[in-house]
Amino acid sequence: MIKKYPLDELSTALGRIMGLLLTEEKVDHAVQHLSRAVRDSIPGTIGAGVSLLDPHARPVSSGSTGRIVERADAFQYELLQGPCLTAWATEESVLINDVATDGRWPSWSAAVVRLPVRSVVSTPLIAGGEAIGAMKIYADVPGAFEDSTTGLMELFAAPAATLLAHIQTSEIPERISQSLQAALYNRDLINRACGVLMERHTLSEDIALRQLMREARSSRATLSEVSAAFLGVSPERPRGSSDGLR
Amino acid sequence: MGFDSTEPEQRRRLQAALGAAQISTGDLWLYYFGIGGAVGEYEVEAYMQGLVSIPQLQRDLLAMAANELFTDHDGPRAPYSDEIDADDPPAKPDEA
Repeated sequence: MIKKYPLDELSTALGRIMGLLLTEEKVDHAVQHLSRAVRDSIPGTIGAGVSLLDPHARPVSSGSTGRIVERADAFQYELLQGPCLTAWATEESVLINDVATDGRWPSWSAAVVRLPVRSVVSTPLIAGGEAIGAMKIYADVPGAFEDSTTGLMELFAAPAATLLAHIQTSEIPERISQSLQAALYNRDLINRACGVLMERHTLSEDIALRQLMREARSSRATLSEVSAAFLGVSPERPRGSSDGLR
Repeated sequence: MGFDSTEPEQRRRLQAALGAAQISTGDLWLYYFGIGGAVGEYEVEAYMQGLVSIPQLQRDLLAMAANELFTDHDGPRAPYSDEIDADDPPAKPDEA
């Protein structure tokens, strides 16, 4: 087995976090491009949009081809009803032949009555078994889309969802970076305790670590608590200014 | 590369403990890294699947990481290598 140094792991972990932080900007471009591609590929479409939703059905990121889609979508999130929310929640595509006569989302249908929105297809974006959002197309005449359009949208949705799946809400990198900071602080604490033991008793690194582990097991404390007690420092990572690392 | 006689049993019980506490291998690895673990995430993943062998000290550190992560949990604990009797057959051999 090739010896891998912990530093390699750290750079991997950091790379992962950087990737997550950068993606928020990338995703806006991605959903925008995807919306245009969908609109241009499906005849009769006057507008298309892609929305990524958090678990509370709040849009995290969305892209659309214009104001009509934006407004029709905004009504869905305001009223908490509409074809995209249904597609997202049920994880099944929704086809509306005529918004004016379809009774499934009365408040939303009433809200969009003045917009040129009559036919709709909305398809969930599913990645890793989880619905992360929805993709939709609108047409200004009734009956513009049929079941085969739904099939086409689903073909688009599968790879798009996989690509968009690693886009996360902004809290996730923050949470990861907090657990990484805690991991680094503990690791440093334990390494310092090992170093003192090694120096004091001329031990190898492994034997020093084993000794701390034995101590932790017999005293029912954690390895970092034992190390902190041994070094005479606080086991808690100092708060405040160090959190500015984010 | 062979397995220590205690390794499969130790791994099986670590998997059971993780499963019961619903902790992912990624979370376990980050915590294990934080308490001085020296084996990379991919190798830990491979170890959990029984594909590679890792040194006893690292297996015990993984067990310690798991146990520290589930302090609030009543489920099974991850055993250390000195808690496994190599002569004992696994409790349910069919399950492995």
